[in-house]
Amino acid sequence: MTINPELKYSRDHEWVKEEDGLLVIGISDFAQDALGDLVFVNLPEVGDAVTAGEAFGDVESVKAVSDLLSPVSGTVAEINEELLDAPEKLNEDPYGAWIIKVSDVTATEELLDAAAYEAFCAEA
Amino acid sequence: MSELKRTKLYDAHVKAGATMVDFGGWEMPIQYPEGIVAEHLYTRRCCGLFDVSHMGRLLIEGPERLAFLQHVLSSNAAALELNQAQYCIIPDENGVAVDDAYLYRFEEERYLLVVNAANTEKDLAWFEPIVKDFDCTIRNITGETVSIAVQGPESENILKVLSGGEEITKPARNNLSTMLLEGHKVRIARTGYTAEPIGYELFLKNEDADWMWNRLIELGGKPAGLGARDTLRMEGMLPLYGDEMGLDVAGEPMPIFALALARFAVSFDEAKGEFIGREALQKQSEAAACFRAKNYTPEAMETLKKRVRPIALVDRGVMRHGMPVYRNGEMIGWVTSGTMIPYYMTEGEGADVRLLPETGKRAIGICYISSDVPVNGEVEVDVRGKRLKAVIPSKHISNNVPPYVVPVIYKQK
Repeated sequence: MTINPELKYSRDHEWVKEEDGLLVIGISDFAQDALGDLVFVNLPEVGDAVTAGEAFGDVESVKAVSDLLSPVSGTVAEINEELLDAPEKLNEDPYGAWIIKVSDVTATEELLDAAAYEAFCAEA
Repeated sequence: MSELKRTKLYDAHVKAGATMVDFGGWEMPIQYPEGIVAEHLYTRRCCGLFDVSHMGRLLIEGPERLAFLQHVLSSNAAALELNQAQYCIIPDENGVAVDDAYLYRFEEERYLLVVNAANTEKDLAWFEPIVKDFDCTIRNITGETVSIAVQGPESENILKVLSGGEEITKPARNNLSTMLLEGHKVRIARTGYTAEPIGYELFLKNEDADWMWNRLIELGGKPAGLGARDTLRMEGMLPLYGDEMGLDVAGEPMPIFALALARFAVSFDEAKGEFIGREALQKQSEAAACFRAKNYTPEAMETLKKRVRPIALVDRGVMRHGMPVYRNGEMIGWVTSGTMIPYYMTEGEGADVRLLPETGKRAIGICYISSDVPVNGEVEVDVRGKRLKAVIPSKHISNNVPPYVVPVIYKQK
Protein backbone atom coordinates (compact mmCIF):
# COMPACT_ATOMS: atom_id res chain seq x y z
CA MET A 1 0.00 0.00 0.00
CA THR A 2 1.29 3.48 -0.81
CA ILE A 3 0.48 6.72 0.99
CA ASN A 4 1.23 10.00 -0.76
CA PRO A 5 3.06 12.14 1.85
CA GLU A 6 1.81 15.41 0.33
CA LEU A 7 -1.88 14.69 0.82
CA LYS A 8 -4.28 14.79 3.75
CA TYR A 9 -6.69 11.94 4.42
CA SER A 10 -10.15 11.39 5.86
CA ARG A 11 -11.04 8.43 8.07
CA ASP A 12 -13.27 7.29 5.18
CA HIS A 13 -10.12 6.84 3.05
CA GLU A 14 -10.53 9.86 0.81
CA TRP A 15 -7.52 12.08 0.12
CA VAL A 16 -7.70 15.87 -0.06
CA LYS A 17 -5.35 18.51 -1.39
CA GLU A 18 -5.62 22.22 -2.08
CA GLU A 19 -5.00 23.41 -5.61
CA ASP A 20 -5.71 26.84 -7.08
CA GLY A 21 -8.17 27.69 -4.28
CA LEU A 22 -10.14 24.45 -4.77
CA LEU A 23 -10.13 21.28 -2.66
CA VAL A 24 -9.35 18.24 -4.79
CA ILE A 25 -10.75 14.90 -3.58
CA GLY A 26 -9.87 11.32 -4.47
CA ILE A 27 -9.67 7.89 -2.84
CA SER A 28 -6.57 6.41 -1.25
CA ASP A 29 -4.60 3.38 -2.41
CA PHE A 30 -5.90 1.55 0.68
CA ALA A 31 -9.48 2.29 -0.44
CA GLN A 32 -9.03 1.20 -4.05
CA ASP A 33 -7.34 -2.01 -2.93
CA ALA A 34 -10.13 -2.82 -0.48
CA LEU A 35 -12.82 -2.04 -3.07
CA GLY A 36 -11.28 -4.21 -5.80
CA ASP A 37 -11.72 -3.70 -9.56
CA LEU A 38 -13.83 -0.57 -9.99
CA VAL A 39 -16.17 -0.83 -12.95
CA PHE A 40 -18.50 2.15 -12.54
CA VAL A 41 -18.63 5.55 -10.87
CA ASN A 42 -21.54 7.86 -10.18
CA LEU A 43 -20.44 11.49 -9.87
CA PRO A 44 -22.33 14.60 -8.80
CA GLU A 45 -22.88 17.46 -11.25
CA VAL A 46 -20.97 20.72 -11.26
CA GLY A 47 -22.85 23.14 -8.99
CA ASP A 48 -24.17 20.41 -6.66
CA ALA A 49 -23.70 20.99 -2.94
CA VAL A 50 -21.67 18.42 -1.01
CA THR A 51 -21.80 17.94 2.77
CA ALA A 52 -19.01 16.70 4.99
CA GLY A 53 -19.68 13.10 6.05
CA GLU A 54 -22.33 12.55 3.38
CA ALA A 55 -22.20 10.72 0.06
CA PHE A 56 -21.35 12.77 -3.04
CA GLY A 57 -21.34 9.80 -5.38
CA ASP A 58 -20.54 6.12 -5.44
CA VAL A 59 -18.14 3.64 -6.92
CA GLU A 60 -19.05 0.12 -7.94
CA SER A 61 -16.77 -2.88 -8.01
CA VAL A 62 -17.76 -6.18 -9.62
CA LYS A 63 -19.10 -7.32 -6.25
CA ALA A 64 -20.58 -4.26 -4.57
CA VAL A 65 -21.42 -0.55 -4.53
CA SER A 66 -19.79 1.83 -2.03
CA ASP A 67 -20.62 5.44 -1.24
CA LEU A 68 -18.02 8.14 -1.76
CA LEU A 69 -18.18 10.22 1.43
CA SER A 70 -17.25 13.87 1.20
CA PRO A 71 -14.67 15.08 3.73
CA VAL A 72 -15.80 18.67 3.14
CA SER A 73 -18.90 20.83 2.69
CA GLY A 74 -19.00 23.10 -0.33
CA THR A 75 -19.95 23.29 -4.01
CA VAL A 76 -18.78 20.96 -6.78
CA ALA A 77 -16.62 23.05 -9.12
CA GLU A 78 -15.29 20.29 -11.38
CA ILE A 79 -15.75 16.56 -11.86
CA ASN A 80 -13.25 14.17 -13.43
CA GLU A 81 -15.34 13.08 -16.43
CA GLU A 82 -12.60 10.75 -17.60
CA LEU A 83 -13.55 8.39 -14.75
CA LEU A 84 -17.04 7.88 -16.18
CA ASP A 85 -15.60 5.83 -19.04
CA ALA A 86 -12.48 4.61 -17.23
CA PRO A 87 -13.24 3.97 -13.55
CA GLU A 88 -10.27 1.55 -13.50
CA LYS A 89 -8.02 4.66 -13.34
CA LEU A 90 -8.98 4.84 -9.65
CA ASN A 91 -7.34 1.42 -9.22
CA GLU A 92 -4.35 2.12 -11.43
CA ASP A 93 -3.42 5.58 -10.16
CA PRO A 94 -5.41 6.47 -7.03
CA TYR A 95 -3.42 9.64 -6.26
CA GLY A 96 -3.47 10.84 -9.87
CA ALA A 97 -7.12 10.09 -10.55
CA TRP A 98 -8.92 12.87 -8.69
CA ILE A 99 -12.71 12.59 -8.46
CA ILE A 100 -14.12 16.07 -7.74
CA LYS A 101 -12.90 19.58 -7.00
CA VAL A 102 -14.86 21.59 -4.44
CA SER A 103 -15.17 25.39 -4.11
CA ASP A 104 -16.78 27.62 -1.46
CA VAL A 105 -15.76 25.22 1.29
CA THR A 106 -17.71 25.94 4.47
CA ALA A 107 -16.66 22.99 6.62
CA THR A 108 -13.95 20.34 6.63
CA GLU A 109 -13.76 17.13 8.61
CA GLU A 110 -10.71 16.63 10.76
CA LEU A 111 -8.11 15.34 8.30
CA LEU A 112 -5.08 13.17 8.99
CA ASP A 113 -1.58 13.76 7.71
CA ALA A 114 0.21 10.91 5.93
CA ALA A 115 1.83 9.52 9.10
CA ALA A 116 -1.42 9.59 11.08
CA TYR A 117 -3.29 8.05 8.13
CA GLU A 118 -0.74 5.25 7.88
CA ALA A 119 -1.26 4.49 11.57
CA PHE A 120 -5.04 4.65 11.05
CA CYS A 121 -4.84 2.12 8.18
CA ALA A 122 -2.64 -0.19 10.23
CA GLU A 123 -5.38 -0.38 12.85
CA ALA A 124 -8.13 -1.00 10.28
CA MET B 1 -20.74 -19.73 14.69
CA SER B 2 -19.11 -22.93 13.55
CA GLU B 3 -15.60 -22.87 12.20
CA LEU B 4 -15.19 -22.44 8.46
CA LYS B 5 -14.06 -25.47 6.48
CA ARG B 6 -10.96 -25.27 4.30
CA THR B 7 -10.10 -27.14 1.13
CA LYS B 8 -6.73 -28.88 0.64
CA LEU B 9 -5.71 -25.90 -1.52
CA TYR B 10 -6.32 -23.32 1.23
CA ASP B 11 -2.60 -22.71 1.84
CA ALA B 12 -1.96 -22.33 -1.90
CA HIS B 13 -4.68 -19.65 -2.12
CA VAL B 14 -3.36 -17.70 0.86
CA LYS B 15 0.21 -17.93 -0.46
CA ALA B 16 -0.99 -16.57 -3.82
CA GLY B 17 -2.43 -13.54 -2.01
CA ALA B 18 -6.09 -14.45 -2.45
CA THR B 19 -8.84 -12.59 -0.60
CA MET B 20 -10.62 -15.31 1.38
CA VAL B 21 -14.34 -15.17 2.22
CA ASP B 22 -17.00 -17.36 3.83
CA PHE B 23 -18.87 -19.18 1.08
CA GLY B 24 -21.41 -21.78 2.15
CA GLY B 25 -19.44 -22.51 5.31
CA TRP B 26 -16.12 -22.74 3.44
CA GLU B 27 -13.23 -20.28 3.52
CA MET B 28 -12.74 -19.73 -0.20
CA PRO B 29 -10.83 -17.35 -2.49
CA ILE B 30 -13.13 -14.67 -3.91
CA GLN B 31 -10.27 -13.25 -5.96
CA TYR B 32 -6.48 -13.27 -6.36
CA PRO B 33 -4.36 -10.08 -6.58
CA GLU B 34 -4.97 -9.52 -10.32
CA GLY B 35 -8.68 -9.15 -9.61
CA ILE B 36 -12.00 -10.44 -10.87
CA VAL B 37 -11.91 -8.62 -14.23
CA ALA B 38 -8.48 -10.04 -15.16
CA GLU B 39 -9.45 -13.52 -13.97
CA HIS B 40 -12.67 -13.46 -16.00
CA LEU B 41 -10.86 -12.31 -19.16
CA TYR B 42 -8.01 -14.81 -18.72
CA THR B 43 -10.52 -17.66 -18.52
CA ARG B 44 -12.16 -16.47 -21.74
CA ARG B 45 -8.83 -16.10 -23.60
CA CYS B 46 -6.69 -18.83 -22.06
CA CYS B 47 -7.41 -20.93 -18.99
CA GLY B 48 -8.82 -20.22 -15.53
CA LEU B 49 -8.26 -22.61 -12.60
CA PHE B 50 -10.96 -22.85 -9.94
CA ASP B 51 -10.78 -24.71 -6.65
CA VAL B 52 -14.26 -26.23 -6.48
CA SER B 53 -13.44 -28.67 -3.68
CA HIS B 54 -16.15 -27.07 -1.53
CA MET B 55 -18.88 -28.51 -3.76
CA GLY B 56 -20.68 -31.44 -2.13
CA ARG B 57 -19.59 -34.78 -3.59
CA LEU B 58 -21.91 -37.71 -2.83
CA LEU B 59 -21.41 -41.33 -3.92
CA ILE B 60 -24.61 -43.28 -4.55
CA GLU B 61 -23.97 -47.01 -4.23
CA GLY B 62 -25.98 -50.23 -3.93
CA PRO B 63 -28.30 -52.39 -6.05
CA GLU B 64 -31.15 -49.83 -6.19
CA ARG B 65 -28.97 -46.77 -6.83
CA LEU B 66 -30.51 -46.11 -10.22
CA ALA B 67 -34.10 -46.45 -8.95
CA PHE B 68 -33.29 -44.01 -6.14
CA LEU B 69 -31.76 -41.43 -8.50
CA GLN B 70 -34.69 -41.75 -10.90
CA HIS B 71 -37.00 -41.00 -7.95
CA VAL B 72 -35.18 -37.95 -6.55
CA LEU B 73 -33.66 -36.31 -9.65
CA SER B 74 -35.38 -34.53 -12.54
CA SER B 75 -33.27 -36.20 -15.23
CA ASN B 76 -33.39 -39.67 -16.77
CA ALA B 77 -30.42 -41.27 -15.05
CA ALA B 78 -31.09 -44.52 -16.94
CA ALA B 79 -29.99 -42.76 -20.13
CA LEU B 80 -26.60 -42.06 -18.61
CA GLU B 81 -23.98 -44.39 -20.06
CA LEU B 82 -20.66 -45.17 -18.47
CA ASN B 83 -18.30 -42.14 -18.74
CA GLN B 84 -21.08 -39.63 -19.19
CA ALA B 85 -22.52 -36.90 -17.01
CA GLN B 86 -25.81 -35.00 -16.95
CA TYR B 87 -27.16 -31.82 -15.41
CA CYS B 88 -30.14 -32.37 -13.15
CA ILE B 89 -32.32 -30.71 -10.55
CA ILE B 90 -33.51 -32.14 -7.23
CA PRO B 91 -37.22 -31.22 -7.25
CA ASP B 92 -39.68 -31.14 -4.38
CA GLU B 93 -43.34 -32.25 -4.72
CA ASN B 94 -44.32 -28.77 -5.93
CA GLY B 95 -41.77 -28.70 -8.75
CA VAL B 96 -39.47 -26.30 -6.91
CA ALA B 97 -35.72 -26.93 -6.72
CA VAL B 98 -34.26 -28.27 -3.49
CA ASP B 99 -30.94 -27.89 -5.31
CA ASP B 100 -29.37 -28.36 -8.72
CA ALA B 101 -26.70 -30.95 -9.29
CA TYR B 102 -24.50 -32.80 -11.74
CA LEU B 103 -24.63 -36.58 -11.98
CA TYR B 104 -21.43 -38.37 -13.10
CA ARG B 105 -21.04 -42.03 -14.02
CA PHE B 106 -17.32 -42.74 -13.84
CA GLU B 107 -17.88 -46.32 -12.68
CA GLU B 108 -20.42 -49.09 -13.39
CA GLU B 109 -21.21 -49.70 -9.75
CA ARG B 110 -21.68 -46.17 -8.41
CA TYR B 111 -22.77 -42.66 -9.32
CA LEU B 112 -21.20 -39.39 -8.21
CA LEU B 113 -23.66 -36.57 -7.49
CA VAL B 114 -22.14 -33.09 -7.12
CA VAL B 115 -24.31 -30.54 -5.29
CA ASN B 116 -23.95 -26.93 -4.14
CA ALA B 117 -21.60 -26.42 -1.19
CA ALA B 118 -24.12 -24.41 0.83
CA ASN B 119 -26.81 -27.05 0.21
CA THR B 120 -24.86 -30.24 0.92
CA GLU B 121 -26.24 -30.75 4.44
CA LYS B 122 -29.74 -29.75 3.36
CA ASP B 123 -29.64 -32.20 0.42
CA LEU B 124 -28.43 -35.03 2.66
CA ALA B 125 -31.28 -34.30 5.08
CA TRP B 126 -33.73 -34.24 2.15
CA PHE B 127 -32.47 -37.61 0.83
CA GLU B 128 -32.27 -39.32 4.24
CA PRO B 129 -35.93 -40.38 4.70
CA ILE B 130 -36.24 -41.21 0.98
CA VAL B 131 -33.15 -43.38 0.57
CA LYS B 132 -34.42 -45.67 3.38
CA ASP B 133 -36.93 -47.10 0.90
CA PHE B 134 -34.16 -48.10 -1.53
CA ASP B 135 -31.41 -50.68 -1.25
CA CYS B 136 -28.63 -48.16 -1.67
CA THR B 137 -26.49 -45.71 0.31
CA ILE B 138 -25.27 -42.14 0.06
CA ARG B 139 -21.66 -41.51 1.05
CA ASN B 140 -20.43 -37.94 1.48
CA ILE B 141 -16.86 -37.90 0.14
CA THR B 142 -16.50 -34.11 -0.03
CA GLY B 143 -13.63 -33.95 2.46
CA GLU B 144 -11.81 -36.98 1.03
CA THR B 145 -11.35 -35.60 -2.47
CA VAL B 146 -10.36 -32.43 -4.26
CA SER B 147 -12.01 -30.91 -7.27
CA ILE B 148 -10.43 -28.42 -9.69
CA ALA B 149 -12.16 -26.80 -12.66
CA VAL B 150 -9.88 -26.11 -15.63
CA GLN B 151 -11.81 -23.84 -17.95
CA GLY B 152 -11.12 -22.00 -21.18
CA PRO B 153 -9.75 -22.30 -24.73
CA GLU B 154 -6.33 -23.59 -23.61
CA SER B 155 -7.63 -26.07 -21.02
CA GLU B 156 -7.48 -29.07 -23.35
CA ASN B 157 -3.93 -28.29 -24.53
CA ILE B 158 -2.76 -27.89 -20.94
CA LEU B 159 -4.24 -31.21 -19.82
CA LYS B 160 -2.84 -32.92 -22.92
CA VAL B 161 0.66 -32.02 -21.78
CA LEU B 162 -0.06 -33.93 -18.57
CA SER B 163 -1.57 -36.90 -20.44
CA GLY B 164 1.38 -37.14 -22.85
CA GLY B 165 -0.79 -36.13 -25.79
CA GLU B 166 -3.57 -38.63 -25.14
CA GLU B 167 -7.14 -37.44 -25.70
CA ILE B 168 -8.58 -36.14 -22.42
CA THR B 169 -12.23 -37.04 -22.97
CA LYS B 170 -14.36 -37.44 -26.06
CA PRO B 171 -14.76 -33.91 -27.45
CA ALA B 172 -18.39 -33.12 -26.59
CA ARG B 173 -19.63 -31.71 -23.29
CA ASN B 174 -20.57 -34.22 -20.54
CA ASN B 175 -18.01 -36.87 -21.54
CA LEU B 176 -15.91 -38.41 -18.78
CA SER B 177 -12.66 -40.33 -18.48
CA THR B 178 -10.39 -41.72 -15.81
CA MET B 179 -6.73 -41.42 -16.71
CA LEU B 180 -3.22 -41.21 -15.38
CA LEU B 181 -1.79 -37.70 -15.58
CA GLU B 182 1.95 -37.93 -14.98
CA GLY B 183 1.30 -41.06 -12.95
CA HIS B 184 -1.55 -39.67 -10.83
CA LYS B 185 -5.04 -41.14 -11.22
CA VAL B 186 -7.50 -38.37 -12.09
CA ARG B 187 -11.19 -38.48 -12.95
CA ILE B 188 -11.97 -35.92 -15.64
CA ALA B 189 -15.30 -34.48 -16.77
CA ARG B 190 -15.87 -32.25 -19.76
CA THR B 191 -18.18 -30.02 -17.71
CA GLY B 192 -17.99 -26.64 -16.03
CA TYR B 193 -19.76 -23.53 -14.77
CA THR B 194 -18.13 -20.89 -16.96
CA ALA B 195 -20.03 -21.46 -20.25
CA GLU B 196 -16.67 -22.09 -21.94
CA PRO B 197 -16.99 -24.40 -24.96
CA ILE B 198 -13.84 -26.18 -23.71
CA GLY B 199 -13.51 -26.88 -20.01
CA TYR B 200 -12.97 -29.68 -17.57
CA GLU B 201 -13.62 -30.55 -13.95
CA LEU B 202 -11.08 -32.82 -12.28
CA PHE B 203 -11.67 -35.04 -9.27
CA LEU B 204 -8.59 -36.28 -7.47
CA LYS B 205 -7.22 -37.59 -4.21
CA ASN B 206 -6.42 -35.07 -1.49
CA GLU B 207 -2.70 -35.88 -1.64
CA ASP B 208 -2.57 -34.95 -5.34
CA ALA B 209 -4.13 -31.49 -4.84
CA ASP B 210 -0.97 -29.37 -4.62
CA TRP B 211 0.83 -31.27 -7.37
CA MET B 212 -2.09 -30.80 -9.78
CA TRP B 213 -2.70 -27.13 -8.91
CA ASN B 214 0.99 -26.23 -9.32
CA ARG B 215 1.40 -28.17 -12.57
CA LEU B 216 -1.68 -26.46 -14.06
CA ILE B 217 -0.20 -23.06 -13.15
CA GLU B 218 3.21 -24.00 -14.60
CA LEU B 219 1.49 -24.94 -17.85
CA GLY B 220 -0.25 -21.58 -18.19
CA GLY B 221 -3.45 -21.83 -16.16
CA LYS B 222 -4.18 -19.00 -13.71
CA PRO B 223 -6.12 -19.25 -10.47
CA ALA B 224 -9.52 -17.57 -10.57
CA GLY B 225 -11.76 -17.04 -7.56
CA LEU B 226 -15.45 -17.20 -6.80
CA GLY B 227 -15.92 -13.62 -8.07
CA ALA B 228 -14.89 -14.55 -11.61
CA ARG B 229 -16.78 -17.83 -11.32
CA ASP B 230 -19.91 -15.76 -10.67
CA THR B 231 -19.42 -13.30 -13.56
CA LEU B 232 -18.55 -16.14 -15.97
CA ARG B 233 -21.65 -18.14 -15.10
CA MET B 234 -23.84 -15.01 -15.18
CA GLU B 235 -22.65 -14.16 -18.70
CA GLY B 236 -23.49 -17.74 -19.70
CA MET B 237 -26.96 -17.60 -18.08
CA LEU B 238 -26.09 -20.52 -15.80
CA PRO B 239 -28.38 -20.38 -12.76
CA LEU B 240 -27.16 -20.14 -9.18
CA TYR B 241 -29.23 -21.72 -6.43
CA GLY B 242 -30.54 -18.92 -4.20
CA ASP B 243 -30.60 -16.41 -7.05
CA GLU B 244 -32.31 -18.12 -9.99
CA MET B 245 -33.58 -21.19 -8.15
CA GLY B 246 -35.28 -21.87 -4.83
CA LEU B 247 -37.05 -18.82 -3.37
CA ASP B 248 -37.41 -15.52 -5.22
CA VAL B 249 -36.61 -12.06 -3.82
CA ALA B 250 -40.04 -11.92 -2.12
CA GLY B 251 -39.54 -15.37 -0.57
CA GLU B 252 -41.94 -17.17 -2.94
CA PRO B 253 -40.93 -20.53 -4.47
CA MET B 254 -39.70 -20.36 -8.09
CA PRO B 255 -41.00 -23.15 -10.36
CA ILE B 256 -38.20 -25.17 -11.96
CA PHE B 257 -39.50 -24.46 -15.49
CA ALA B 258 -38.97 -20.76 -14.88
CA LEU B 259 -35.47 -21.72 -16.06
CA ALA B 260 -35.04 -22.22 -19.80
CA LEU B 261 -32.60 -25.06 -19.20
CA ALA B 262 -35.22 -27.04 -17.24
CA ARG B 263 -36.20 -28.46 -20.63
CA PHE B 264 -32.88 -30.26 -20.76
CA ALA B 265 -32.72 -31.17 -17.07
CA VAL B 266 -36.22 -32.65 -16.66
CA SER B 267 -37.24 -35.92 -18.30
CA PHE B 268 -40.72 -37.45 -18.51
CA ASP B 269 -39.31 -40.53 -20.23
CA GLU B 270 -41.16 -43.81 -19.60
CA ALA B 271 -37.96 -45.35 -18.24
CA LYS B 272 -38.03 -42.78 -15.46
CA GLY B 273 -41.52 -43.59 -14.20
CA GLU B 274 -42.91 -41.74 -11.19
CA PHE B 275 -40.60 -39.31 -9.44
CA ILE B 276 -40.83 -36.55 -6.86
CA GLY B 277 -42.45 -33.47 -8.39
CA ARG B 278 -43.43 -35.15 -11.68
CA GLU B 279 -47.02 -33.94 -11.73
CA ALA B 280 -46.15 -30.33 -10.96
CA LEU B 281 -43.25 -30.37 -13.42
CA GLN B 282 -45.47 -31.81 -16.19
CA LYS B 283 -47.81 -28.85 -15.76
CA GLN B 284 -44.92 -26.39 -15.73
CA SER B 285 -43.45 -28.04 -18.82
CA GLU B 286 -46.72 -27.54 -20.74
CA ALA B 287 -46.80 -23.86 -19.74
CA ALA B 288 -43.17 -23.43 -20.87
CA ALA B 289 -44.07 -25.05 -24.22
CA CYS B 290 -46.91 -22.51 -24.66
CA PHE B 291 -44.46 -19.66 -24.09
CA ARG B 292 -42.00 -21.09 -26.62
CA ALA B 293 -44.87 -20.95 -29.14
CA LYS B 294 -45.45 -17.30 -28.03
CA ASN B 295 -48.83 -18.40 -26.71
CA TYR B 296 -49.35 -16.61 -23.38
CA THR B 297 -52.56 -18.35 -22.26
CA PRO B 298 -54.05 -17.44 -18.86
CA GLU B 299 -53.46 -21.06 -17.67
CA ALA B 300 -49.80 -20.97 -18.67
CA MET B 301 -49.34 -17.52 -17.09
CA GLU B 302 -50.93 -18.83 -13.87
CA THR B 303 -48.58 -21.85 -13.75
CA LEU B 304 -45.42 -19.91 -14.65
CA LYS B 305 -46.05 -16.29 -13.69
CA LYS B 306 -42.42 -15.36 -14.06
CA ARG B 307 -39.41 -16.71 -15.90
CA VAL B 308 -35.66 -16.37 -15.56
CA ARG B 309 -34.32 -14.23 -18.41
CA PRO B 310 -31.18 -12.37 -19.44
CA ILE B 311 -31.25 -8.60 -18.88
CA ALA B 312 -28.95 -5.89 -20.23
CA LEU B 313 -28.88 -2.32 -18.97
CA VAL B 314 -29.20 0.29 -21.73
CA ASP B 315 -28.71 3.36 -19.50
CA ARG B 316 -25.47 3.90 -17.60
CA GLY B 317 -25.36 2.06 -14.28
CA VAL B 318 -25.02 -1.34 -12.66
CA MET B 319 -27.81 -3.78 -11.73
CA ARG B 320 -27.64 -5.93 -8.61
CA HIS B 321 -29.57 -8.84 -7.12
CA GLY B 322 -32.93 -7.77 -5.71
CA MET B 323 -33.46 -4.59 -7.73
CA PRO B 324 -37.09 -4.34 -8.96
CA VAL B 325 -37.88 -4.53 -12.70
CA TYR B 326 -40.73 -2.49 -14.19
CA ARG B 327 -42.68 -2.54 -17.47
CA ASN B 328 -44.80 0.50 -18.28
CA GLY B 329 -44.69 1.53 -14.64
CA GLU B 330 -45.79 -1.88 -13.34
CA MET B 331 -43.44 -3.95 -11.18
CA ILE B 332 -42.95 -7.30 -12.95
CA GLY B 333 -40.09 -8.93 -11.03
CA TRP B 334 -36.48 -8.50 -9.94
CA VAL B 335 -32.91 -8.65 -11.05
CA THR B 336 -31.61 -11.97 -9.63
CA SER B 337 -27.93 -11.52 -10.57
CA GLY B 338 -26.17 -8.55 -12.06
CA THR B 339 -22.93 -6.63 -12.23
CA MET B 340 -20.54 -5.07 -14.74
CA ILE B 341 -18.95 -7.88 -16.78
CA PRO B 342 -15.86 -7.54 -19.01
CA TYR B 343 -15.52 -9.06 -22.48
CA TYR B 344 -13.07 -9.29 -25.35
CA MET B 345 -13.94 -7.61 -28.60
CA THR B 346 -14.01 -10.23 -31.37
CA GLU B 347 -13.42 -10.42 -35.11
CA GLY B 348 -14.69 -12.99 -37.61
CA GLU B 349 -17.42 -15.58 -37.29
CA GLY B 350 -18.00 -19.22 -36.35
CA ALA B 351 -14.81 -21.28 -36.04
CA ASP B 352 -12.77 -18.32 -37.38
CA VAL B 353 -13.60 -16.03 -34.46
CA ARG B 354 -10.55 -14.28 -33.05
CA LEU B 355 -10.36 -12.42 -29.77
CA LEU B 356 -8.93 -8.92 -30.19
CA PRO B 357 -6.72 -7.36 -27.50
CA GLU B 358 -9.37 -4.70 -26.82
CA THR B 359 -11.86 -5.24 -24.04
CA GLY B 360 -15.18 -3.72 -23.12
CA LYS B 361 -17.52 -4.05 -20.20
CA ARG B 362 -21.29 -4.16 -19.94
CA ALA B 363 -23.88 -4.03 -17.19
CA ILE B 364 -25.73 -7.30 -17.69
CA GLY B 365 -27.35 -9.90 -15.54
CA ILE B 366 -30.24 -12.26 -15.01
CA CYS B 367 -33.77 -11.37 -13.97
CA TYR B 368 -36.95 -13.14 -12.87
CA ILE B 369 -39.82 -11.33 -14.54
CA SER B 370 -43.35 -11.72 -15.87
CA SER B 371 -43.36 -14.56 -18.40
CA ASP B 372 -44.97 -12.54 -21.20
CA VAL B 373 -42.09 -10.11 -21.84
CA PRO B 374 -40.94 -10.85 -25.40
CA VAL B 375 -37.32 -11.10 -26.57
CA ASN B 376 -35.92 -7.57 -26.94
CA GLY B 377 -38.76 -6.34 -24.71
CA GLU B 378 -38.01 -3.02 -23.00
CA VAL B 379 -38.13 -2.74 -19.22
CA GLU B 380 -36.81 -0.47 -16.48
CA VAL B 381 -34.73 -1.34 -13.44
CA ASP B 382 -34.94 0.58 -10.18
CA VAL B 383 -31.26 1.17 -9.44
CA ARG B 384 -31.28 2.71 -5.97
CA GLY B 385 -34.20 5.02 -6.69
CA LYS B 386 -33.42 5.73 -10.35
CA ARG B 387 -35.38 4.05 -13.13
CA LEU B 388 -32.84 2.93 -15.73
CA LYS B 389 -33.73 1.56 -19.17
CA ALA B 390 -32.97 -2.10 -19.80
CA VAL B 391 -33.76 -4.76 -22.37
CA ILE B 392 -34.46 -8.50 -22.31
CA PRO B 393 -32.13 -10.00 -24.96
CA SER B 394 -32.20 -13.65 -26.01
CA LYS B 395 -28.70 -14.31 -24.60
CA HIS B 396 -25.49 -12.62 -23.48
CA ILE B 397 -22.98 -14.88 -25.22
CA SER B 398 -22.71 -17.39 -28.03
CA ASN B 399 -20.66 -20.46 -27.12
CA ASN B 400 -21.61 -23.16 -29.60
CA VAL B 401 -18.43 -23.01 -31.69
CA PRO B 402 -15.17 -23.81 -29.86
CA PRO B 403 -12.81 -22.52 -28.75
CA TYR B 404 -14.10 -19.03 -27.88
CA VAL B 405 -17.08 -17.54 -26.13
CA VAL B 406 -18.39 -14.66 -28.25
CA PRO B 407 -20.25 -11.84 -26.48
CA VAL B 408 -23.65 -10.97 -27.93
CA ILE B 409 -23.86 -7.21 -27.40
CA TYR B 410 -27.30 -5.66 -27.42
CA LYS B 411 -27.45 -2.85 -29.96
CA GLN B 412 -30.15 -0.25 -29.59
CA LYS B 413 -32.29 0.25 -32.68
